[in-house]
Parts: sequence; structure tokens; C-alpha cells
Amino acid sequence: MADQWQSSMDHAVAIARRAGEVVREALLDDRAVMTKSSSVDLVTQTDQKVEQLIIQSVKEKFPTHRFIGEESVAAGESCVLTDCPTWIIDPIDGTTNFVHAFPFVAVSIGFSVNKQVEFGVVYSCLEDKMFTARRGKGAFCNGQPLEVSEQKDIQQSIVATEFGSSRAPEAVDRIFCSLKNVLSIPVHGLRGAGTAAINMCLVASGCVEAYYEIGIHVWDVAAGSLIVCEAGGVLMDVEGGEVDLMSRRIIAANSRTIAERLVREIAPFRPPRDDAPPPN
Amino acid sequence: MANWTDCLNFGISIAKQASEVVLSAFQQHKEVKLKSSPADLVTETDQRVEKILISAIRNRYPQHRFIGEESVAAGERLELTDSPTWIIDPIDGTVNFVHRFPFVAISIAFTFNKQIQFGIVYSCVEDKLFYAQRGGGAFLNGEPLYVSGQQDISRCVVVTEIGAERDDVALSTTTSNICRLLKLPVHGVRALGTAAVDMCQVATGGADAYYHIGMHCWDIAASAIIVQEAGGVVMDTDGSEFDMMSRRVIAASSATVADRIAQVIQAFPCCRDDEDNCRCGATGVN
Repeated sequence: MADQWQSSMDHAVAIARRAGEVVREALLDDRAVMTKSSSVDLVTQTDQKVEQLIIQSVKEKFPTHRFIGEESVAAGESCVLTDCPTWIIDPIDGTTNFVHAFPFVAVSIGFSVNKQVEFGVVYSCLEDKMFTARRGKGAFCNGQPLEVSEQKDIQQSIVATEFGSSRAPEAVDRIFCSLKNVLSIPVHGLRGAGTAAINMCLVASGCVEAYYEIGIHVWDVAAGSLIVCEAGGVLMDVEGGEVDLMSRRIIAANSRTIAERLVREIAPFRPPRDDAPPPN
Repeated sequence: MANWTDCLNFGISIAKQASEVVLSAFQQHKEVKLKSSPADLVTETDQRVEKILISAIRNRYPQHRFIGEESVAAGERLELTDSPTWIIDPIDGTVNFVHRFPFVAISIAFTFNKQIQFGIVYSCVEDKLFYAQRGGGAFLNGEPLYVSGQQDISRCVVVTEIGAERDDVALSTTTSNICRLLKLPVHGVRALGTAAVDMCQVATGGADAYYHIGMHCWDIAASAIIVQEAGGVVMDTDGSEFDMMSRRVIAASSATVADRIAQVIQAFPCCRDDEDNCRCGATGVN
């Protein structure tokens, strides 16, 4: 049976690649920076331009499809996921990296139908690595199949995480409590490339055993979530329950064993959900 | 005055040759041994690459001396003299190497009269060759490098490492340092798993500062001169002059940023690299 979402996925890969070119060109210019929810939550014109580029191109080809885009939501659009075919877009995951030319910047496109991710595309544009996954068909990087690490011993593991853009003292203190707990297990090491999407692709690639973060958004992890699962990995909420992509909390790991071990060390907190109604 | 350009070019050529050994082992399973802690790893490839480098250099420059990570681990005396000396980390990022996390570097620094004359950091998986010679500028694959010049700490991306120490004092100090920096605030904190490659991000301008407590001279001697020749500064974490044997470093895009970081971070006790029979703290080679 033909895959009804194949043409959407092909378009996602093509537009992610085009968006990556725009990002690379923009890196040669000055990058004027604005801030969003805090002084360290950055956005640039390129974020906005790339999101428009993606949305416009999809609207032309697939006029009934819907969107959840980081910059559109920042401008007031809804972030509620329906059963409709929906493109969940982070035009530049790693905007701080982009502003600084720190070499990890990704275009992330997740596609959901009936609230389930059907395909994910993460284009790490400075490394020219195209990560893709189609539900039931595996995960790939530049056409090569991806497989998570086989390591089940947390003490032989590398864990990726980020400190996020909240500087609220309660959030920062919980984040550091988790950090110290995880390090004390002990683990082999902790890494942070500065983008959730790429961190998740590192799990899918087998280079790190797990990634966890509290504070990310649905557009940061929608695509990566399927890439991890199709590479043989698992997703979990930081308190051990089922992952909820709108909850702003995630563990992505090579196995339940490793994910459950991390749950014991993470000090949880609950940022406002992505699909919460905006405050009056 | 001696010209060390021939030595630099020789260093670059043997780093590239040695990288073939690293890359062919990169995808294989590795037998791992522990050194000073459960996160301080060494493999047979580390030891083999160091032997290859030292043997090639000795062949060409029989009077030169060496400080190599694995030689020191095997009991060689670590002493920096005025003689021409090669300071070698055969694989910086051994944990990354074991996990196939793609940041692994061969680091070679050269000193004369105890002063760093040139540094080479070859990030093999990325095929990025960083190098600098005193007074000659810094380069990445032949293109000149310049630090960002950032003076405002609140606009900085800071790179650091948690390191291999897992005792409570070291972990508490390390994590609270990062926490204090984040609250300044800074734009972000990053970690790639190798001091040499981390520091080179400062030289490229992609990061604005790097700091670390607990690394060794072989991890940062080469990248220190690369940062300086890109226009940056290096200093000790207490704000005093850089001392590559102290096991503490700040490398930054400007003295202003370096000083600000020095005000915020604290060091945990660490034996110096050039101290004999060190038994203090929970870190150190012996």
C-alpha cells in the first residue's frame, strides 16, 4: 500500500535542506538578536524568516494541513494539537548557538496525524547531517540507518542535557540538583551541544545513552522523538510515566533501564504546558 | 632566535598520520581501563598513538624531550625544563572516543625555555586542524581565527567540562560554578567532552570563554596558544597568570570576560601536574 504521507515527508526533507541553506548564508552576516521570555531566550529575523519559508511552502502544496511553529506561537498562534495533519516546526533549534556561530544548529520538522508523530526530520545544517524517521520504517542519518547504543549500565553511560533558558532561581536550582545527582551515580560524562533536536539525534546515533531536559517545547522534540524511537530507543516523562510532548519535559534513552535509572535522579518541576491557554 | 616552523610542520604531519589510527579504531569496540576515577578512561589506542608520535619525533629530533599523558601515567617523571619539549595528549576526549561521540582530538604543544612556541589540535572526526605559532596567528584548516571580542558576560556562551572527578567536593564545586555562571546570566553553557576542542571554540569565536579545573597540561597547552594567537586571553581561575601546570585555566575572548569568570568560579584542591608523589585531594595522577 502506498504511504499517504510519503510526499509530505519528501517535502519536509527538501524544505529542511533549503532552510539550512538560508541559515548558513545568514551566518555570514550580522545576526541581530531579540529576546523572548527572558534575557537569554533569543530569537533572530532568520528564525522568523525560516519559519515563514517552511509554512508558506507547505501551505502551497498541502493547503489543508495545520501548523504549530515556534515563532508563530510566539506571535500569538495556538499551540493546541488536533487530529489534523500538523507540521510542528522549530525553524532554528539552537538559536543561541546560531547567534554565536557555535556549530550546532538544526531545522526541526515533526509531522503528526491523530496526535501521533508520523515522520520527523532534523537537519543539522552546519554539519550537513539530515536525520529522518518514518513511523515503522527506521531512522537514518544521510541515508545510513541509526541504532541506539546497547549500553545498559548507567555507570558506563554518557548523558546529554541542557540548562535551558529559564533563569528563575527555583528552576535553576532543581536543574542543578538533577545534574549533581546524575553525575554522582557516577556516569561517564555529561554533554550539551545546545540544541534539544541534535541531542536527541545523538541518542538515536548511539553516541550518548540518554538525553533529558525540563523546559523544552513541543517543537524542539517532536521530530527527534520519532527518530529516537525508530532507532530503537524509548521516551519517558521525567517522573517515569508516559511522555507527553506538550508537557515540556522529556527523557529520550536507549532503553527503559537507563531511562528509569535517570528518573530516580531527576528533581522534577512543572513549567507551564505548551498547550495551556495563554494568561488573560 | 630559534625558528620552530619546521617542528610545527612536522607536528602537523604526524598528527594527521596518527589520526588514521584513531579513526580506524573509532568505530570498533574498545577495551577500556580506568585511571584515577570511574570516569577517567584509557584505551590501547591512547597508548599506541602516543608511542607513534613520540617515536616519530625522537627519530627526527633526538635531543627533544616529552611530556605525554600515557607516559606519565606509566610512571615517567613530569618535569618541564628549558629544553625543547613536546607536550602530548594522544586522544583528548577518550570518553567520547569510547562512545563514538564525534569529538576526539590529538593535541600537541611545543615549549622552549618553558614557553609555549606552538600548538596543534587536530579534531579528527570533524577533520578540523587548529594550530598556532607564537607571533604567527591562529588557523583552522588554513583559515585565520579570531576570538569574538565579547566584553559583556551576559552575552557569552561559556564552554566547560565536568571532568573526571566524581568525589563530592569536586562535583559540588563544579556544579555550583556552572549554576552561578548561569544566574549572572550568561547566554549558555556548553560541553563537548574535550578540553582541547572546547578551547578551540573560543579561538573560532563560536564561544566566548572556556574554563576548567582538574584538567592536565597536555589537555590545554596547545589550545592555550591557539586562543592567544586568535586574540584571546588565558589566565588562572583565580585571575593570576596562566600556569599550565596548575590544572586550572580560563580562556576568553577578552580580559574583561576572563576576570568576571574568575570572580565567580571557585577551584577545588588539585595537585599540580609537576608535583612529585602527590597524595592530596581526590584528583591527580597518583
